[in-house]
Amino acid sequence: MAEIRVGKPDVRLDLPSHTKGVHQGNKTGAYRHEAGHHLDGTADARRSTGIRPKRRNPILPIMPNLPPG
Amino acid sequence: MATSVTSKQKALGKPEQLVEMSWDPITRIIGNLGIYTKIDFANRRVAECHSTSSLFRGYSVFMKGKDPRDAGFITSRICGICGDNHTTCSVYAQNMAYGIKNPPLAEWIINLGEAAEYMFDHTIFQDNLVFVDFCEAMVKDTNPSVLKKAKTAEAPNAAVHGYRTIAEIMAAFNPFEGEVYKEALQVSRITREMFCLMEGRHVHPSTVYPGGVGTMPTPTLFTDYLSRLMRVIDFIKKSVAMNDDVFDFFYEALPGYEEVGRRRILLGCWGAFQDPDVVDYRYETMDRWGKAMHVTPGVVVDGELVTTNLVDINLGIRILLGSSFYDDWVNEDPFVTRDPLGNPVDMRHPWNQTTLPVPQKRDFGDKYSWVMSPRWKHPQTGEHLALDTGGGPFARLYTTALANLVDTPYVKATGSSVRISLPKGEKLPETTLEWRIPQWSNAIERDRARVYFVAYAAAMALHFVEQGLGLVHAGETKIFEDFEVPDEGIGCGFHEAVRGVLSHHLVIKDKKIANYHPYPPTPWNGSPRDIYGTPGPYEDAVQDMPIFEENGPDDFRGIDIMRAVRSFDPCLPCGVHMYLGKGRTLQKVHSPMFGQNNA
Repeated sequence: MAEIRVGKPDVRLDLPSHTKGVHQGNKTGAYRHEAGHHLDGTADARRSTGIRPKRRNPILPIMPNLPPG
Repeated sequence: MATSVTSKQKALGKPEQLVEMSWDPITRIIGNLGIYTKIDFANRRVAECHSTSSLFRGYSVFMKGKDPRDAGFITSRICGICGDNHTTCSVYAQNMAYGIKNPPLAEWIINLGEAAEYMFDHTIFQDNLVFVDFCEAMVKDTNPSVLKKAKTAEAPNAAVHGYRTIAEIMAAFNPFEGEVYKEALQVSRITREMFCLMEGRHVHPSTVYPGGVGTMPTPTLFTDYLSRLMRVIDFIKKSVAMNDDVFDFFYEALPGYEEVGRRRILLGCWGAFQDPDVVDYRYETMDRWGKAMHVTPGVVVDGELVTTNLVDINLGIRILLGSSFYDDWVNEDPFVTRDPLGNPVDMRHPWNQTTLPVPQKRDFGDKYSWVMSPRWKHPQTGEHLALDTGGGPFARLYTTALANLVDTPYVKATGSSVRISLPKGEKLPETTLEWRIPQWSNAIERDRARVYFVAYAAAMALHFVEQGLGLVHAGETKIFEDFEVPDEGIGCGFHEAVRGVLSHHLVIKDKKIANYHPYPPTPWNGSPRDIYGTPGPYEDAVQDMPIFEENGPDDFRGIDIMRAVRSFDPCLPCGVHMYLGKGRTLQKVHSPMFGQNNA
């Protein structure tokens, strides 16, 4: 390493990256736990709301499902 | 500015009368770029130039040991102007290391964010910073005879922008007062909003991660973006017309002005805007997906395209020392000896670099900068080329035009030019602009390319919106991919920061970063003399440059030198301070550690 004089670190270098026990969004398999997201890349209204989402899905199966915000 | 004056007889021309002049800092955010020159006023030329940086950042030092998933967020903080380019580049490098790719919609969203960033940053830099050097107030001060000519020179594109003479255009660029200056600030605001729609926050994105984005892909997202884009489209058409008029006038009014900031055509572009249909982020197929990018990567030497292969570009990168405050790392352990294709990786490649900073006093005869000297080794000649980025757009348009690969509904490369079609706006009709490869690599052509690239980014954004909206309408709204951080892995990301080439090289060991080296454009452009004595692009462009300013040494503004340096879009060019000695004794204090005792 460099010959620069540096202080003692206050924290471990990788401290902010992950706290044990907290769900990791990137973890393989996490995608299928995402509400309203389908594995084929589509989504339904459950993605946007948990309140009677089925009522907000399109009325015909031929229509694309475009959940609001 | 120092004032030591020396006289000596030159073999040719008048006796040299050298005056040392320095601009330190030439800065935009923080004071870290200095230009030190010796000007020969008798022969009106710059005799010598050194470019120096007084700031050590050390990202490559403190990234070690961190979680690689944090890299995008940390490296974004390298810059307060193009942080998102770092995030994007880091995401590209991480995707390669993790063996994943972004879903197509995420890729279009990133492309849209980056296109907005180019529009935002180039507009604010060109109209609010570069044009301060070409505005009426400045030209009146430095070249009154040119302004006199401008008052009678008709503007050829008056029908597009509405200004009758060149002097009227120049007046519109006067800082804080000029019409265009003020309008450009509004446009920057709108383009910044476009950016925030896609990447969450400017300039450090909150919704761009490896494996995708967190932007919610609703139809409104794209229509909000599109409506803002259509509001600025006429401004872009007018800007191109005004820039062309002013720059053509400068060539005409000051014969020989093409020599300002001129250097050998040595350009590098690392490509931008991935094509989700092709990109898989595997190193083995990097050549294929690199060529599919919407800005073609490449290296241009003397007007000839040497390569468009990202693997060649990657393997040719060498980080040289020579005038930089670092110890050599050749005796350290290498991290990557062979790339995934089996090609040997040099010890001076960023994958193998170890940063060993050695703070010391600045000495122009020896070491004088914190910037290292990135070079590209020509595979045939073996030369270590000091590539520049031409401020970004110049190299991007140059390689894209020569490579002749980009073919989208709004932007087409032709082999010698790039054709950009912009649709009808609020007032102006549908317009096709054409950027043609110019004869020189000089200050004016770098500046001109910038405004054309704003049009390029706007036209590309239209294409990306159509693609993105197409996926959303089909219900394909997947925007992220999950992944596992590997125990070991390597990755490299190639992208274009606003002002030019950007690469991130990453090595992962034990799920942590073992080595991480971002190489943004300013180290390429602002590099000092390397071990072989080759000057960096700023130094090269300014050295031996003629001076057209009418002022003498006493009230010298250095406008031609500023135009030359600023044409590269140094990520730091707004606060130019010039120190006038006027016979005062100046005490030179140099403290690379900002006063901290280096005991």
